[in-house]
Amino acid sequence: MKLIKKQIPLAIVFITGVFTLVSYYVPNKTSIDYIETMNKWQNIVVAFAFLLGLVSLFFSHYHKIARKADGWGYSIFVFVGFLTIVISAYVSGGRQMTDAGLTPLGWSFKYIYNALSGTMFAVLAFYIVSTAYRSFRIKSLQAFVLFVAAFILILGKVPLGQIIWDLALGWTGAGVDQVIEWIMQVPAVAGKRGIMIGISIGAIVTSLKIIFGIEKQYMGKD
Amino acid sequence: MFASVLAASPVFAAKSTLPPITGFTAGDMPYDSGSIALLAWDADAGGDTAAAVSPGTLYRVFVSSLETGGWIKAAEFPAGEKMSKNIELPFWAWKVQGNTHALKVELNNYFSGFKDGTVFYFKIAKVKGAAAIESEVVSSVTVSNWFRLDRLNNLILLIILIIVFFWAVFHARRKGLFIRRIAGLDAIDEAIGRATEMGKPIFYVPGIGSMSSISTIASAFILGEVSKKVAQYDSQIKVPHYDPIVMTVCKEVVKQSYMEAGRPDSYREDINQFVSADQFSYAASVDGMISREKPAACFYMGYFMAESLLLAEVGATSGAIQIAGTDVEHQLPFFFTACDYTLIGEELYAAGAYLSKEPMLLSALKVQDFGKLVVMVSVFFSMILVALGARFGWEGFVRGILHLFRNY
Repeated sequence: MKLIKKQIPLAIVFITGVFTLVSYYVPNKTSIDYIETMNKWQNIVVAFAFLLGLVSLFFSHYHKIARKADGWGYSIFVFVGFLTIVISAYVSGGRQMTDAGLTPLGWSFKYIYNALSGTMFAVLAFYIVSTAYRSFRIKSLQAFVLFVAAFILILGKVPLGQIIWDLALGWTGAGVDQVIEWIMQVPAVAGKRGIMIGISIGAIVTSLKIIFGIEKQYMGKD
Repeated sequence: MFASVLAASPVFAAKSTLPPITGFTAGDMPYDSGSIALLAWDADAGGDTAAAVSPGTLYRVFVSSLETGGWIKAAEFPAGEKMSKNIELPFWAWKVQGNTHALKVELNNYFSGFKDGTVFYFKIAKVKGAAAIESEVVSSVTVSNWFRLDRLNNLILLIILIIVFFWAVFHARRKGLFIRRIAGLDAIDEAIGRATEMGKPIFYVPGIGSMSSISTIASAFILGEVSKKVAQYDSQIKVPHYDPIVMTVCKEVVKQSYMEAGRPDSYREDINQFVSADQFSYAASVDGMISREKPAACFYMGYFMAESLLLAEVGATSGAIQIAGTDVEHQLPFFFTACDYTLIGEELYAAGAYLSKEPMLLSALKVQDFGKLVVMVSVFFSMILVALGARFGWEGFVRGILHLFRNY
């Protein structure tokens, strides 16, 4: 049992991981074919897994409706939305556009789905404002540095801010645009690169842990 | 394609005053999959070095699978460009030839399904106004290579990391390692305790990454530790998913954690729930759940894009303790401002080991530290050497240093 539950999966992970790693250094067609085959397998697994997701979605919302749990009314919309799209796709033969114009499926995407997605994305603008307000509450030295950098950036992006800068600090000879460029090109890039280097090394080490079977929490402990 | 197939043009056959093309060779491009041919010819003889090139002089490069006819124009560029020094390979993998043109021809763009050993023919024409001169026809076969010598620097670094990795793992068995505190991870207990006291659920959001994303894998490890604590405290956890495969893996992880905590009876199948595979539908749905259920704590661990702020801001408004972690550096500012604790990139990878406190996993953190030390020392000395090289005009030396740290 241990062989099936532990050793075989670990061997598959090791062999697949080493082959994938080696393929980065081997440009041969065999290596390219291997990666393409793995990608195809991944797509097949994803397609089957999507069915699992659908079943999970339906069951959880079905149980909510059956139990009359809080907000069960919203769960009805999952089924209504699903059926609407499936029926319109069936009626439209899977096409969004024909010579006659938008099909019911195309209409659903253009006037319902796209509109809703756009609305969610637009909400970001409001959240950015409230987040900016929160970040401007100076509670520590780091928050103060963040505030100063953000304040200069905001100042430099509006004409009134540029006039204020020129009046107050014009005598220094440094334009606000130069200060902004320096902030964006030097401390911001330095911090970003530091984070990226840490991330890259962390990703390599995490991959090694998985390939060599040191990290196997995803399989359970027994 | 047929429009670009050229027969031998009478223009090229015309007598020309242009100097002849000499030293024209065709060969296999090294370190590739066998789809690129490398052409080279002398620049000096044609008087077309960057300084000497006369305006309006062009090179046209033709390729064919037949020895005569069927020519396809593969490139056209002004004389003085595409020199040997412009080939982007490091000094250990490419020897720059003085004043020599070097051109890579992607054969896949013109011929499909060819095999190793297929012979291709090449010729070039030098054109200026009505005058033109053609080279002789040369042939070459391309082969699929077995090693990317240009990535040797990368391979050496990887081998060093692997050696240090195994050293650290074996070292971990002998004695304990000091690991610095990570406030965001220490706060997990506090968050779960709060949820237990308030009788409210915990939301664990694994992001929109697939299972092949390292941050999602790290998130699954953290979920294992978090759900174990949730099971011990007999609290509630909800894990809304974007990716069905991630959901399947997380189901196993959570189930295992409940078993390890000795509470298999508390495990429910609906802890992990698929929501949507569409980014904004997912964000809207999770936002709705957070708004309605007012969780005591929200964890955002994994790969996030624009939905990071949509989720974190709603969580902050609902009054939950929020702990986030991602390796997407441009989403970090949003988490910093909207969450109580944020794990930056590598801390996310370290979190599973940190929480599990297993010596073998903790030892890998030392490898991360070693990697950062290597980078810091390399950056420091390279900075000095490059500055010195630039000061004294050692162009080749500076290029060599930069090649050492470049990804090919």
